Amino acid sequence: MHLVQEGDPRAFELLYDRHGGPAFSLAYRMVGNRVTAEDISQEAFLSIWRSRARYQADRGSVRTWVLGIVHHRAIDALRRNLVHEKRRSSAEGIEERFEAKETTPGEAARREEARSVRTALEDLPDEQTRVIELAYFGGFSHSQIADMLEMPIGTVKGRMRLGLDKLRRSLAGVAA
Amino acid sequence: MSVERHNAQEENVGAYLLSALTEIEERAFEKHLQDCPVCQDEVDRLRSAVDALPRSVEPATPPARLKTSLMATVRADAREATGEARRQGLARRLRDRVAGLNDALMGMRPGAAWVAASIVLLTGVLGGATGLYAISGGGTSDDDNRPQAVAAKVDKTRVPNGSGSLVLPADARDGAVLRVHGLPTLENDSVYQVWLKRKDEVISQSTFTVGEDGEGAAAVTDSLESADAVMITRERAPRAKAPTEASILRVRL
Repeated sequence: MHLVQEGDPRAFELLYDRHGGPAFSLAYRMVGNRVTAEDISQEAFLSIWRSRARYQADRGSVRTWVLGIVHHRAIDALRRNLVHEKRRSSAEGIEERFEAKETTPGEAARREEARSVRTALEDLPDEQTRVIELAYFGGFSHSQIADMLEMPIGTVKGRMRLGLDKLRRSLAGVAA
Repeated sequence: MSVERHNAQEENVGAYLLSALTEIEERAFEKHLQDCPVCQDEVDRLRSAVDALPRSVEPATPPARLKTSLMATVRADAREATGEARRQGLARRLRDRVAGLNDALMGMRPGAAWVAASIVLLTGVLGGATGLYAISGGGTSDDDNRPQAVAAKVDKTRVPNGSGSLVLPADARDGAVLRVHGLPTLENDSVYQVWLKRKDEVISQSTFTVGEDGEGAAAVTDSLESADAVMITRERAPRAKAPTEASILRVRL
């Protein structure tokens, strides 16, 4: 990361090689089509390259920093309504998710990790999983979620907080 | 800080971490966070759960052209930064030389000072000119590999303040980077789209938006060999299959 911060393109290429897959996967999971996910990833990595001096190791891993930027870019795209309507009205995203699986060792490890985190998420009470997924992956605000699920905003906020706390404990191996 | 205000903000912790607050609410929460150790602890405590969420995603493989396009822009940025650093170094050396000359002249007789000043200035100007010549790409040492820029022709009736240039790498097969200035920001559902024209074929290259300063950059990912032009149109997001308007900016090759 030090070399990236000094502006070395080869170091940045290594950073992309390491984190480009998870970044694209997150964008794709959120927007549901590959073209928009590609645009979001491109914008996010360019922003990372141009703001590389702002990375602070004591505030988290490079992976967390990269994925945080991708997440914000994807939310911006979703809230600009670039993809919400399309995702609702088209089966494109669903079709694309059934494409051929990768079988490299790295991919296999990532799939295994994904499975264990997904299991922890799915083990939460349904209403908590739902508000967390709608907010984090769907890019919906708490008031939009409250409208969708026909519940008070306070309840939505409470379920988000409670769900995150249970997820944290579950991932840490402590009984929730 | 009142208990009521703290309680009202504390219930936002989960929504804040999940990016589910509005911009105004987010700013208010962050302001509260600066002075509230209880909420800071709660944010720190729950952050690990949010950081784990992207790890639950089924892996998908990005297309190879994403890396090609990204790295073309990154390399062009790095080359530009190196060129700027050289220009600044040269300007600093010239300034130092002139400052040194001033100091030296202070202690000389008028006639000797005039001769000394002429010699030093002539050396400085020749040195400077050589440096600038090298920076502009006219030298013959390592300059053959330095990128060249070709200015774009802009439709001033539609983008009156627009300008741009195509930065060409040493090898045309590496694609290029198109840099633009003074383009207006577009509506949310529109993007600028870059096209490569080769004979009767028009091939989409990439899309981009510009910031409030009107600056932007985009990659031309295909080889420029036997290409006729690179151009930009305004299209509906995410991208068009073929141009829907005449180009607003065009670089002839």
